[in-house]
Amino acid sequence: MNVFQVVLLAVATFIFAIDQFSLTETLYRPMVACPIIGLILGDVKTGLAIGGTYELMMIGNMPVGGAQPPNAVIGAVVAMVFAVSAKMNIEEALGAAMIFSIFGQYIVTLVFTIMSGLMAKADKAAEEANPAGIVQVNVISCCLLGGLFALIAVLAAVAGTALAPQLQALSEKASWLMGGLGVAGGMMRFVGFAVLLKIMLANDMWGIYLAGFAAAAILGNISATSGATLLLVAFIGVAIAFYDYNLNVKIGEGGSSDGI
Amino acid sequence: MASNMTTYTNTTPAAQLDKATLNKVVWRSLMLQASFNYERMQAAGWEYCILPGLEKIHTNKEDLAASMGHNLEFFNTHPFLVTLVCGIVLSLEQAKSDINTIRAVRVACAGPLGGIGDAIFWFTLVPITAGITAQMAIDGSLIGPILYFIIVFGVQMGLRFFLMNWSYNLGTSAIGTLTAHATQFTHAASMLGVFVVGALTCNYGGTALGMVIPNGESSIDVQGLLNGILPAFIPLLLTLMCYFLIKKKGWSATKCIGLLLVMGIVGAIFGIWAGDYTALVSVPWHA
Repeated sequence: MNVFQVVLLAVATFIFAIDQFSLTETLYRPMVACPIIGLILGDVKTGLAIGGTYELMMIGNMPVGGAQPPNAVIGAVVAMVFAVSAKMNIEEALGAAMIFSIFGQYIVTLVFTIMSGLMAKADKAAEEANPAGIVQVNVISCCLLGGLFALIAVLAAVAGTALAPQLQALSEKASWLMGGLGVAGGMMRFVGFAVLLKIMLANDMWGIYLAGFAAAAILGNISATSGATLLLVAFIGVAIAFYDYNLNVKIGEGGSSDGI
Repeated sequence: MASNMTTYTNTTPAAQLDKATLNKVVWRSLMLQASFNYERMQAAGWEYCILPGLEKIHTNKEDLAASMGHNLEFFNTHPFLVTLVCGIVLSLEQAKSDINTIRAVRVACAGPLGGIGDAIFWFTLVPITAGITAQMAIDGSLIGPILYFIIVFGVQMGLRFFLMNWSYNLGTSAIGTLTAHATQFTHAASMLGVFVVGALTCNYGGTALGMVIPNGESSIDVQGLLNGILPAFIPLLLTLMCYFLIKKKGWSATKCIGLLLVMGIVGAIFGIWAGDYTALVSVPWHA
């Protein structure tokens, strides 16, 4: 692999990293990403083969032995690098990409955590009615995610499988930290809910809040309804809201016409 | 943080948004998850997406700040269906509806779309398209990935444009009936919003304990005991804790995040939380 190819690989990974959550949300899929990486590495045919197989694995149509890489972008990019440069077959390549892919997932966790802290910057931009500040926050996030992903791709391309034991050791050492960050990340949405409730939750609505919680607890734990939990919850909620609206409108009208 | 205004200072409805602005919002909707984060999820991306509309609607700085403030609260929906929420929210913003109404409608609208979108796209369209095109790729044909991209991206873009126009027109035509009884509508919408946030607390709350206390042959699973008392007990407790800290103690959201970060990491050191990690301290209850 020459320098030019490594640079192109980094650029492509940068874009795929952003694409996995934004942009087209299609380009990063192994089906499309692998042939593009193949083009860069000069082996489109391998790219097509790996892309098709990996895509079928991802939608669960192809039970390939072993677990799938936790992050599809790094899984696809690094597997391609190994398949082309080390002539591995798809299963070997995906297996060898696994540890890099775990670090890809770590990066996602880190970026989502850091960006939670950066929301204060977005708040400040909103307070100043400054749209450019909001753009900035989004750009920072994209660069952070794309840059770190590109770094992993370059590491895999330059150091290859030789890096795997070190990464393995590092990931074992960092396990508690990444586990803790993941748990903390899962809890942070409660802050978002609390901020919404701070404004919406009038004192007469505690029952409604708990009723919504109960509706989701019931519907979410029945296998037949769990997929549509939030939609069904919305149906119930709309019924309650309409009832409340009609009742209050009637009371209002009755009051005025009766002269009470 | 959200300002305490409940109505805009200028309550004269703004002019209808032109087609170019709506199209701009559709293209920007591709960046909905650009700054995805654990606290507010798509909030800043959502703000970026509807800003062209907000800037046209709110010509005075104070109102724009208020609108940007409340639109930066927790937001999460399906990225391919987000323009449906854009259209409705922009039509409400344009009518200068009560801020509480806009917030409640936004929350109630966004949540349920997530599940629908996943069912349509990731469980139906993508598997079918992949099923058709993957074999072409494996056989070495470039048509495979190209067709895959055109179908998956084409369908979502078509839907984004359609939903934007449809929901914006629906919103603007429904405004008249809604504003006739604005106070009652705000109350009803807030109820729906609070109901949905209650559901989200349970549905999005995955935080669980991972402690299994060895006890001879039948070890005690602490989370299992908690589920017997109330499923999703910890998510509810943590939400109420944050609510209490923010509302009664005047904490900022950032301070709450800091607290949860410490709780998460300290918990992982001692193997308290459920999850696939190795606790730093070796404890009997965490494998």
